Amino acid sequence: MKRILSSVLVGVLSLGLLAGCGGSQSASVGIKSDDPVIKKIQARGVLNAGVKVDVPKFGFRDIKTEKIDGFEVDLVRALAKEILGKNDDKAIHLEGVTSKTRGALLDDGSIDIVAATFTINDQRKTQWNFSDPYYVDNITFLVRKDSGFKSMKDLNGKKIGVSQTTTTRKAIETEALKQNIAVDFLELPGFPEVKAALDAKRVDAFSVDGSILLGYLDNNTMLLPDKFGPQEYGIATNLHNTALAKVVNDVINRMLKNGEMDTLLKKWGLK
Amino acid sequence: MNLFAGQQWQALFEARALFAKGLGQTVVTSALALLLSLVIGAVIGALGTAPWRIARAVNRTYVDLVQNLPLVTLVAILFFGLPHLGVNVPVFGIGVLCLGVYHGAYIAEVIRAGIQSIHRGQLEAAFSQGFTYVKAMRHIILPQAFQVILPPLTNQAVSLIKNSAVLNMIGAGEMMNVADSWAGQNSYYGPTYLLIWALFFALCFPLAQWARRLEQRAIRARGQEVQAR
Amino acid sequence: MIQLTNVNKYFGPLHVLRDVNLTVKSGEKLVVIGPSGSGKSTLIRCMNLLEKPTSGSVIVDGVNITEPGAKVAQVRQSIGMVFQQFNLYPHKTVLENVTMAPILIQGIAPGAAEESGMVYLKRVGLDHKAKAYPSQLSGGQMQRVAIARALNMKPKIMLFDEPTSALDPEMIQEVLDVMVGLASEGITMVVVTHEMGFAREVSDRVIFMDEGQIMEEADPEHFFTNPTNERTKLFLSRILRA
Repeated sequence: MKRILSSVLVGVLSLGLLAGCGGSQSASVGIKSDDPVIKKIQARGVLNAGVKVDVPKFGFRDIKTEKIDGFEVDLVRALAKEILGKNDDKAIHLEGVTSKTRGALLDDGSIDIVAATFTINDQRKTQWNFSDPYYVDNITFLVRKDSGFKSMKDLNGKKIGVSQTTTTRKAIETEALKQNIAVDFLELPGFPEVKAALDAKRVDAFSVDGSILLGYLDNNTMLLPDKFGPQEYGIATNLHNTALAKVVNDVINRMLKNGEMDTLLKKWGLK
Repeated sequence: MNLFAGQQWQALFEARALFAKGLGQTVVTSALALLLSLVIGAVIGALGTAPWRIARAVNRTYVDLVQNLPLVTLVAILFFGLPHLGVNVPVFGIGVLCLGVYHGAYIAEVIRAGIQSIHRGQLEAAFSQGFTYVKAMRHIILPQAFQVILPPLTNQAVSLIKNSAVLNMIGAGEMMNVADSWAGQNSYYGPTYLLIWALFFALCFPLAQWARRLEQRAIRARGQEVQAR
Repeated sequence: MIQLTNVNKYFGPLHVLRDVNLTVKSGEKLVVIGPSGSGKSTLIRCMNLLEKPTSGSVIVDGVNITEPGAKVAQVRQSIGMVFQQFNLYPHKTVLENVTMAPILIQGIAPGAAEESGMVYLKRVGLDHKAKAYPSQLSGGQMQRVAIARALNMKPKIMLFDEPTSALDPEMIQEVLDVMVGLASEGITMVVVTHEMGFAREVSDRVIFMDEGQIMEEADPEHFFTNPTNERTKLFLSRILRA
């Protein structure tokens, strides 16, 4: 009996030793890979991800708890689980990004992935890798309740506020042609500035993806019913990190197929 | 992403009409704002040297208020705040107004210091000959002050041109705005901002050089005076 | 011509002129001497109101210039002043310096102003420098131009506030010579100076000031050979020794 016990003890210990000598510092097991970028993330033990902090349900920082949560944050956790084998708060570092900073931070290596309402288009595909789309949003308009606008047609000859670095303006121009109206634009550095411009009556409408506008809705404003210019969101990675991009894409596709994505969307009321 | 990829420079070259328009907007806005700041500066600056206490108080108030406010804040206040008061100034007007009001305060100080740098003896000599205060200012003090004022004034002009970049935040269509907007769409930040830097340099450097030459001339003139004594 | 009555001047708490009474007759050459801080500069500057008395009155050529509403600028046209620091207008030529005030203030035609200006410049020996700028002149030359500038206004009174004190020694004489020449005419002159030789030669009357008061006044003969006041004696002994 003692001999069996001691052999089992030795066996367990040696297994533990082997696991400890396995190269990775963390006790969890992520995907096996020879790729230097993935190995670096695993060695670090933390996945650096850029997310929004001002878009409710996608990436939003709660004022009271200071915690960032949302559908896209959950996507980040799923990716962390795949790469690092764990998805708790210690495994992910969430960096708040804006439409302006997300690309630059990927380029300089500060973050590994971006899950921040990043619309996929051909122009952008030449600069970053994108996963297959995990969500489709549409462009719409936020207007002041007292302006009396009922639909996009009422915006004929009006001024629309958009943010720099978004794909909104082009989409509006296309749609305006279809609807036979002419609109004017005011392009400001970021979303808060456009909202302030709307409040100050400097613009007649604030336009960007509907999900983002939800973060700026208040008692004096309302969304117009129009929805156009479908925007597909994808997870973005640095153009050079092809192996990482493949892992990300595999995860997204797996989640789309096995219903995980659906569950998440329902959790956040996006479906 | 290679900052200097040929493709990006190519795209930049193809978009030159856009940047030319932005450059034009910077020049026009700066010119008008400079004019406004000169007028404000001359009036407020002269008030600062007047013998009446109320005039000097107006000068102090204006200068203190404006010099202690960041330009960005001033722009935000006027851009977002004025409409709430029912005053609707178009974006271009806000730009000219902000730059003019802001630099007006600095130019007022330059002009005041310039006037006060003229030796009191000049005013006394003029008075002793029967000049009134106004005539003395016009014929004796201001012409001399002008020489002293011109170099720092030119520096303020350069500062104003550089500050016009701030107007990007209200979508004023000047150089920085065009750059941010264009690069925002395609992320060709490297070549774009290098171009903007070059354009600002082309605008500011000649002015700064001229200011330096004027300063040398003024130093030489004053040096000769001291020697003769 | 000039009458100071009970003039007091305070600079803050400093009592610079103490109850000064002085009358200067038309055509008189008055020299004022005294130690620094005695108030002699302030005294002469009260005569054209470059300093405003705290109390008391100053009457010049029949006009009370200390009265509120007095036309001071107008009276100043008939008073010429020469400063210790010359105070020429550096941005104007010598001739322009001399003709500016007559043209702009007295409304004299430029041609006439230039003509008389050149006459005075010739008199001070600087007509050949008419087109020069003050920065190109020596101290002595600048002061002589300053005298010509004051004279071109055809004043009745000439005030000199230590005119040679800022000059290098070799240039003092050229300026004094001009002033001596001037003294031979009928113009009223008040001169604050340390040049005792000049005072003895030119003045009709010398006054000694100390601590804001006129301590002694006498004609030059008596003043320099037989001063009565103790402090005058002390001051003279010091200054004449040097």
